[in-house]
Amino acid sequence: MSRTINLHPFTILALAVAVVTLTTAASQWWLSCAVIVLCLLIAGWAGHLKKLAVLSGAILLPTFLSLLLIHGLISRDPSPAMAQWGPLRVTAHGLEVALSLGLRTAVLVVVGLLCGLLVDKHQLVAAIDLSPVPPQLGYLLAATLFLLPQMGHKQRQIGEAQALRRVGTRKGITGWFQRVRLRAVPLVLASMQDAQDRAVHLSARGFPAAGVRTRLRTVPDSSVQRGFRWTALAIAVLGPVLILALTRMGSH
Amino acid sequence: MYRKLSAQSTVMLGLNLGSYNYLDSTEVVLHDIQLDVHPGSLTVISGHSGSGKSTLGAILAGLLPRHGMDELVGSIGVGETLIEFSSSSTPRVDVAQWAKHVGLLPQDAGHYLSSIRGTVAEELAFSLENAGVPREQMQQRVTDLAQKLHLQHLLERHPQQLSGGQERFVALAALAMSEPGVLVLDEPLAGLDKRATAVVSEMINLLRANGAALVVLVDSVGVWAREADELWRLNQGTLHRISAEDLLQPGGQTPRRRPVAADAQVLLDMDSVQLAYPGAAGPAVSNLNLQLRAGECLGLAGANGSGKTTVLKAIAGLLKPESGTLALSGVSGLLLQNSSDQLFERTVLREVSFGIPKKSALRHRAPEVLKQLGLETHAQTHPYELPASARRLVALATVLIHEPKILLLDEPTEALDEAGEVVLQEAISSVLDRGGAVVLSTHDERFMERTAHRVHHMP
Repeated sequence: MSRTINLHPFTILALAVAVVTLTTAASQWWLSCAVIVLCLLIAGWAGHLKKLAVLSGAILLPTFLSLLLIHGLISRDPSPAMAQWGPLRVTAHGLEVALSLGLRTAVLVVVGLLCGLLVDKHQLVAAIDLSPVPPQLGYLLAATLFLLPQMGHKQRQIGEAQALRRVGTRKGITGWFQRVRLRAVPLVLASMQDAQDRAVHLSARGFPAAGVRTRLRTVPDSSVQRGFRWTALAIAVLGPVLILALTRMGSH
Repeated sequence: MYRKLSAQSTVMLGLNLGSYNYLDSTEVVLHDIQLDVHPGSLTVISGHSGSGKSTLGAILAGLLPRHGMDELVGSIGVGETLIEFSSSSTPRVDVAQWAKHVGLLPQDAGHYLSSIRGTVAEELAFSLENAGVPREQMQQRVTDLAQKLHLQHLLERHPQQLSGGQERFVALAALAMSEPGVLVLDEPLAGLDKRATAVVSEMINLLRANGAALVVLVDSVGVWAREADELWRLNQGTLHRISAEDLLQPGGQTPRRRPVAADAQVLLDMDSVQLAYPGAAGPAVSNLNLQLRAGECLGLAGANGSGKTTVLKAIAGLLKPESGTLALSGVSGLLLQNSSDQLFERTVLREVSFGIPKKSALRHRAPEVLKQLGLETHAQTHPYELPASARRLVALATVLIHEPKILLLDEPTEALDEAGEVVLQEAISSVLDRGGAVVLSTHDERFMERTAHRVHHMP
């Protein structure tokens, strides 16, 4: 059973931006680890731990491997090698760089994914609609968030229709590529047709709004949250500057 | 050019169309049409697929002609405004303003819904939101409309999780939310089961009782004949008035079904079959027993969601039974419900040959199958350019070319016009005559009665 956080979507996003910029600027392994653990705890509380772990793993595992390959194994770093196999040499500095970059990327990925899991997509779209940005932006985001699952459904239907005609049924990696190739064109054509069919009715329903627009959905907000958002954004901008200045002063 | 009409006019929508043709086409799609729509009236316009019904509907709704592209000669008046079109001048119509007077519900009602709102209530309020109506007023109007049309139970539902009937119901309510004086409904009852048909019909009656004028575009007048104030047939690009008496003329002959021999070979045997989709909470179909013999046509009946499509998919091999046995003798071929998901090629001929190995003898059958379904003149046409009925027949051709022993048809009459239905009947007969069998699922009771030897009712 998943729980929801009753905060304005912009508040969660502002906090996430501040955390990511500060952690990246600080570049301390323990801080990055603490942020990741905190994110996992929040995900566990909200009932999204498994999803967050799987999604983060799918992105971070190849990222860590590539960083390890670039900085840890084939590094041209002149420091003494801990181990060496022909051109491949492992150095402490190389591993340190790989780990540091990997952890910073991990913070960005885990925080970003957690936001995606915690923020109600309809609330986010409503919040954007109620803000002074152009209405097309809200629609673009909504279309990306909601039409992609529909495209997934459509491509499964196309796959079924092709399987009935004994096409795209090969197994293994070649079969996978064949299915992608065969489904891509009809999927794009069908989606374009769908967009064209919807567009005229969206216009008839007054979209995009020429003047003021309103929303039936309410997005709870408060002056405390608004203040928090401005503070978080100020920290996101000034925090890294301060950290860099302090680091530079410390090095002199 | 815009003009003001006399305030005394009782016509809510008046069309005086000299000719209409699409961009880059010399063929005149519609011509010499005079149509007046009065408050609270029901105007029914019938016509076969490709006759121009949807074009006429889009013109009435202000969606056509596209500015600077199509050519309309004539005038259209709504409320106190008259817009005159000529070959040299195509005024730009403000579609959103026009929709306040005339609303169009497309055949695929899902296209009317924005698909970006989280609840039915928000979907109903979409046009009000864009008009900047204050939230409290919107809330009140949504509640009032829901009460009037008896759809309070759907307000908090997600629009993507509605059944076909409910989707049309909600789209119709969303259309009515702007309170246009005229509602143009394109095939409002197509593909609905009996219960959904009753609900949508009741809603249409309610809207009419509230003073809205309705223009209904249908393939065949059928159930509308009794209620209609005006009946028209759109044929060869123009409207012909018809009377209810004309419709009582005896129709085409009911095809005679050859009885099934008692000792005919069993082609399909399903014994205590249970079917479920991966990840679903429960089975879609339980304890199903079916037997089908050579030369037999079996109808599957039942409400939306009763598992008819699931059974057809299982017979076609797309879904494996969780338990029970399913024995099949010969190859099966399935015509899916949505034709556009089955068309992948750029010409009809290539489409029919799609997936068949180049050296296969089946490829040589393509012209013959096209001829059987009356599609030979469309061989080099892009399937998307065909009218809905012909597109459905192309999808059928892609199945028939494999000479299936068991032909499976999911809602085969959907989008088919009368001529297309005749062709479908002939295709079914040819499968039965060569010792094959047919299983079809349809809400079209008349078609079921005429076609199936027996009907299995899904619980």
